[in-house]
Amino acid sequence: MTVATSSPIGTVVADLEISRAWLVDPSSGREGPGEIIVTEGVLEAVTWLDADEADGIDDGGVVVAPGFVDLHVHFREPGNEDAETIATGLAAAAHGGFTTVCVMPNTTPALDDPAVLAGIRAAASASGSPVRALAWGAITAGRAGETLAALGELADAGVVGFSDDGAAVASAVLVRNALAYAGALGLPIVEHAEDATQTAGAEANDGFVATVLGLRGWPAAAEETAVARDLAILAEVVRDVPRARLHLTHLSTAGALDLVRRAKAAGLPVTCDVTAHHLALTDEWVAGARRWAWEATGDPWGDGTGAIVAAPYASSLRVNPPLRSVADAAACREALLDGTADAIATDHAPHTSVDKEVEFGLAANGISGIETALGIVLAAVDAGLLPLARALALLTGGPARVLGAAWGRGPTPGLVEGAPADLVVFDRSETWTVEPGALASRGKNTPLSGRELAGRVLFTLAGGRLAYEAAD
Amino acid sequence: MTLIDRDVQVADSALEVPIVDSPPDAQPVGWRHRHLLDVDVLSWADIELVMRTTDAMREVLGRPIAKVPALRGRNVTILFYEASTRTRVSFEVAAKNLSADVVNIAAATSSVTKGESLVDTVRTVEALGAQMLVIRHAVSGAPYLAADVFSGSVLNGGDGWHAHPTQALLDLYTLRARFEGGSLEGRKIVILGDVLHSRVARSNIWTLTAAGADVWLCGPATLLRGFETWAGRGAADGRRFHVTSSIDEALRDADVVMALRIQKERMASGLLPSLREYAARYGLTRQRLAAARPDALVMHPGPMNEGVEIAADVASGAQSLIEEQVRNGVAVRMALLYLLAGTVRP
Repeated sequence: MTVATSSPIGTVVADLEISRAWLVDPSSGREGPGEIIVTEGVLEAVTWLDADEADGIDDGGVVVAPGFVDLHVHFREPGNEDAETIATGLAAAAHGGFTTVCVMPNTTPALDDPAVLAGIRAAASASGSPVRALAWGAITAGRAGETLAALGELADAGVVGFSDDGAAVASAVLVRNALAYAGALGLPIVEHAEDATQTAGAEANDGFVATVLGLRGWPAAAEETAVARDLAILAEVVRDVPRARLHLTHLSTAGALDLVRRAKAAGLPVTCDVTAHHLALTDEWVAGARRWAWEATGDPWGDGTGAIVAAPYASSLRVNPPLRSVADAAACREALLDGTADAIATDHAPHTSVDKEVEFGLAANGISGIETALGIVLAAVDAGLLPLARALALLTGGPARVLGAAWGRGPTPGLVEGAPADLVVFDRSETWTVEPGALASRGKNTPLSGRELAGRVLFTLAGGRLAYEAAD
Repeated sequence: MTLIDRDVQVADSALEVPIVDSPPDAQPVGWRHRHLLDVDVLSWADIELVMRTTDAMREVLGRPIAKVPALRGRNVTILFYEASTRTRVSFEVAAKNLSADVVNIAAATSSVTKGESLVDTVRTVEALGAQMLVIRHAVSGAPYLAADVFSGSVLNGGDGWHAHPTQALLDLYTLRARFEGGSLEGRKIVILGDVLHSRVARSNIWTLTAAGADVWLCGPATLLRGFETWAGRGAADGRRFHVTSSIDEALRDADVVMALRIQKERMASGLLPSLREYAARYGLTRQRLAAARPDALVMHPGPMNEGVEIAADVASGAQSLIEEQVRNGVAVRMALLYLLAGTVRP
């Protein structure tokens, strides 16, 4: 079926042929049995097989799709290279099937200056990885929330938009000004929606699990009031600046998604993403349950199923926004299905063991997730909750459309003959076990340690070059 | 909820009382928990065994020399990350009564102030010989992290808002001694005050519902956040309990009132207008107590703010069990140290 390329990472793929696979092309909406041929880095042939030739090929085996796009990653360079570097982050992305990532600017120093962007680009280039690293610039200088960063200079340098991710922009006036200023530059504002006055010291989703475990509640209202505020401001800003755009990242509550649903219906230029972990995990995991959101009841102690199989308070589950209720996870699925949510992101947030292997309430927020996102999404697909083509569209065309012109490659990701090969090949019939030590990321902080995930990635090709190849 | 299961068949041997003069590993005792981190994992048989073993420890405490050699040669390290007098001393006395070697570490004077992590501290005390670790920590769940890296037994001496297992078990023991046949079935027990921040309340919800009591939580609405949902789902065996902001409703015909400590920080965070208003509306006074049953019992886990959550005359009155709680605390902690020691080879 496949031939190992035996080439070093970063080299142009001279010759790769994948036959008898299931091809998914979100740009054309087509999926079906077929084969591809890559020659000298170019996707030379995409052949769709007729029914009589396709005997025995279905979507449960080898799948070929465009390379994934991640709107939200933290690669920690510059400033916290113990947790991740651009090089290790790009390697992790390739292992997860991603060929384009957008790094968040909450580095040290923050990406609020073109010089920081130049450093990131130099590190990406030096890494030899063909995975494309795009960058969000900071909204405010130093991400301090006080004055606007050099938005115009950052735009000239090539950032794809602006975000103070890690925290919301507390000042509503600055949100208004940022939306207008960035809008005039044709770039979106990416908001981490959180009203910090409601989340001071918060540890876990405000609800039944947090109450029983004695964890400080992190209310859904903290996210929803921030979303409502931003949408109200956006509605006014677009009157003056029609190109103003708001992207809400890692939305996690049913209420926040519903606000976006209504805003989209009203024609506001807003997009949003949800993460793989908010789709599939719930706050039950903090209590020691390990079942997917769609298998959960919300009462791991009392539903009579013996759901608690692990120790509670695993700090790998501490994340911002927190893992939410079963109903919120269901709302994430619903939003991905009905178009309210535009993309699945990873919010890949690697941390060192020093910052993570501590008491739950003292642990850094974040999950190292870019290598497990595909497996989580495929679990939802396997459960019949998300069609495969829709899931892959949310990892490719969806995020590319959020980037808009900044996507920079003309049409949205597809399997297009004659273009540089930018694709992922994975096998849904093969599982792999998540072993933190074996992850390419320096962040070993995964709550999925020891879990078997479907959809082992066999190859990732980015821009015609080899980004990842499975060991055997 | 099913974790506290009263229907489990108990082997005859498990109904015996351990001979607490001898080391626990020298005899079969029906105890299977290496650590005691929370009460929600205890079966009713486990709880009964703790109660019977506590009876035996009470007998020891009544002797002219209140000491047995059961844990001789065992190192019990008491690691407290929060200020505490009564609980720390209670554990220390309990361990010494069992002839254990006791090491006391107050985090304020340890490497913790130099930034040492909990994991490193636990590994260090283990390297220094700790075989049993009693830990108190301000962060909910911290004892689980300690248990993950410690090769002996960990006993939770109180973690954040989450659990205070020895307090709940000593409260249960103290109440059983006061009621006909040792049964709390149907007794109205009110937990009054700052439930939100209380590990004592959370652990008592499990053990008291397991015992069949009619549990009521009462306090200002801001300090009951989230508990209505839990009450509706139920705790042990799915047994429901009640939540109310009306102290009149809570105290009416109550058999037991357990007042909780209220802390000054609650005003700064906007949860309460003032201590004065709290005392006026929720303080347990003699007048209020009159709404309860005439022989109603009064408890408090300590330390008390007399004149705030409880009036001084109520705290020291004839209905008060507060001193008995403290006395029983030593016996219950002896019982738990003893039972846990039986699960790990010295």
